[in-house]
Amino acid sequence: MQILLGPQDPTPNLRQAVETINADGPIVVISAGWRDSEGEIDELQETVERPLEDLMLYQRAERVFANEPALQDLQRARQDNLTELQRLYRIRLAPTIAAARKLMRTRAEPELLRLEQRAAINQLRALDAHHLRRIRDIHRNFNQRRAELEVPLALVQRDKVQQRVEKAGLVLIAGGHVAVLLNRIRLFGLNQLLAQKPVIAWSAGAMAMTERIVLFHHSAPQGKRDAELLDAGLGIVRRRVILPHASTRLDWRNRRRMALFSRRFSPAVCCTLDNGSMIHLDNDRVIASSKSFIVMKTGRKRSLTKK
Amino acid sequence: MNPRIENLFREGTPSSGMIGEFIQSNRFPLVEPGHVTFIFQGQADEVNLRRWISGLSTAQSMQLLEGTDLWALRMELPDKSRFEYKFEVVRGGNRDLVLDKLNEVTAQDPFGANSVCQGYGYTRPGWTLHDAEARRGTLTGVQLYSKAFESQRDIQVYLPARFRRSRSYPLLVVHDGADYLHYADLETVLDNLIHRLEIPAMIVAMTQSPDRLVEYTGDQRHARFIGDELLQELITKFPLIDSNRARGLMGASLGGVASLHTARQYPNRFGQLLLQSGSFAFSDLGKHQKGAVFDPVVRFVNEYRKNPFALAEKIYMSCGIYESLIYENRSLVPLLQAQGMQVHFEEARDAHNWENWRDRLRNGLSWLFPGPLWMVYE
Repeated sequence: MQILLGPQDPTPNLRQAVETINADGPIVVISAGWRDSEGEIDELQETVERPLEDLMLYQRAERVFANEPALQDLQRARQDNLTELQRLYRIRLAPTIAAARKLMRTRAEPELLRLEQRAAINQLRALDAHHLRRIRDIHRNFNQRRAELEVPLALVQRDKVQQRVEKAGLVLIAGGHVAVLLNRIRLFGLNQLLAQKPVIAWSAGAMAMTERIVLFHHSAPQGKRDAELLDAGLGIVRRRVILPHASTRLDWRNRRRMALFSRRFSPAVCCTLDNGSMIHLDNDRVIASSKSFIVMKTGRKRSLTKK
Repeated sequence: MNPRIENLFREGTPSSGMIGEFIQSNRFPLVEPGHVTFIFQGQADEVNLRRWISGLSTAQSMQLLEGTDLWALRMELPDKSRFEYKFEVVRGGNRDLVLDKLNEVTAQDPFGANSVCQGYGYTRPGWTLHDAEARRGTLTGVQLYSKAFESQRDIQVYLPARFRRSRSYPLLVVHDGADYLHYADLETVLDNLIHRLEIPAMIVAMTQSPDRLVEYTGDQRHARFIGDELLQELITKFPLIDSNRARGLMGASLGGVASLHTARQYPNRFGQLLLQSGSFAFSDLGKHQKGAVFDPVVRFVNEYRKNPFALAEKIYMSCGIYESLIYENRSLVPLLQAQGMQVHFEEARDAHNWENWRDRLRNGLSWLFPGPLWMVYE
């Protein structure tokens, strides 16, 4: 069972979500996405009014890297590869998405145009799928090489973290830097465990729970930027693309742009999460939701309601 | 003629009641796509619009609308432009410069206030306005005795919200910092851009020279003060990232000259430069015409143009196209780029004023110090 929430600032709705889950056992927190601020959970504790334990994945990883440089080198090589791959992906993405966008606003004989639009969107999907395969190859390679390393401290730390998660009645995953968060969850091998636990995740935490991490911002300070596929997520929440801060980061006035966004990631459903939003899922089925919207193929949004 | 004025005179000379209603029901100046119409109401022998736009005459006479006490002037103005102005009212041989009483938009600078004409489509950027959701940073004072100047210097230091001594921060040193705070809302801008993750949480040291016409014009003492004394003091007092990439210098007008000059004296000590409407006067042939104050500036810029080299990693420059300095700024850009530095140059339909510099801060700061926005979803 998972509850996905929007940003907790300015008005948190975490407490209601925790009450809904009614956890039987300790509550642990993953705040690795906060990086240097990891573990500063006083405000969370005040909100939830329950004892919380932060798993400190970010700082544990820093200690492990400092003591086991071979693992750090491997990690750095993976990050360098991912960064370079992302750069190459962008080179292909820019013209592919530009062509799709142009076709979305071109006037032509409707039947001809419809098929061309569909082909352009399929090219975009194929590019995203290819990128995801390449990313998974890099992760697979990392895991194989990591298994060959002597990293006793990393194993001790991984076991400690996994034991805490196993005993937990509820896991909270905070937002923050989505790549760092995902990386640390993977590093401590928590994917399988998290799939078996009640989880409340918000913003980047909610993105990490899905199959694909999509980065987006239509009004970034250096101009509009096209949405990018960053990585595979944990895959616990399936067939959904999660869009935190959607009201401010997406250009809702541009229907064509939003329509393309929705169709590109279809059949996954693009769900918004703003402050106050909540999506309660059980086996990928929405059992309750509030203030969350679906981006429709027309570029409009409609409320995500219980079906 | 502006259609609203045509409408006022449609049935002949308007009554005082009609004029009153016209004044009440419109915002002034009257703005329409591509044009702006200024209105002055009052008795006078002559009324002129005084504006500060390079390349155009500074005064333009306004026309008395027949049978009324309204003076009007319609002029071309590209959309989204902005410039400052006053009315020159001539009565009995006396000339008074006055604000436009019908226009509540004014801009402040150290010399007073001007009325502001905002062309069609201009809106003040939202990120320059107070945002109740943005956590506020704090300003703290640092006193430093400068051996270079042999005097005490007061520095204001902006610490970002949620400042922690256990973290490390980028550093930006701002010339005319108090003016940036007062006239360009720098504190609000920093709060907002950090809150929006468009720039990282950063420490900003603001200097204010007691004699900028000397100290900012290529003065070795000033370079030593900023590049050595102040930087060392800040490194001692605050947790700063130990990398030149994470250090920047910023300034407008002569503050831009002071920044560039300091960077030339201490190449790559500050990896990022933000230079707004820099007064980069130079002379390729003959003597410059800008006055004695600019002699040291011209010497410095001429020397640098003769022997240029890379002095920072990235430089963001901006300049208004209505200011004469656009020539100097444009000509500096290819020279800087040729040294292998990344240079981003932005021209604005604006002039030499603090609001122009304020409106460019988002682009400049976020280009030099990109925040984690793309990857962070709090």
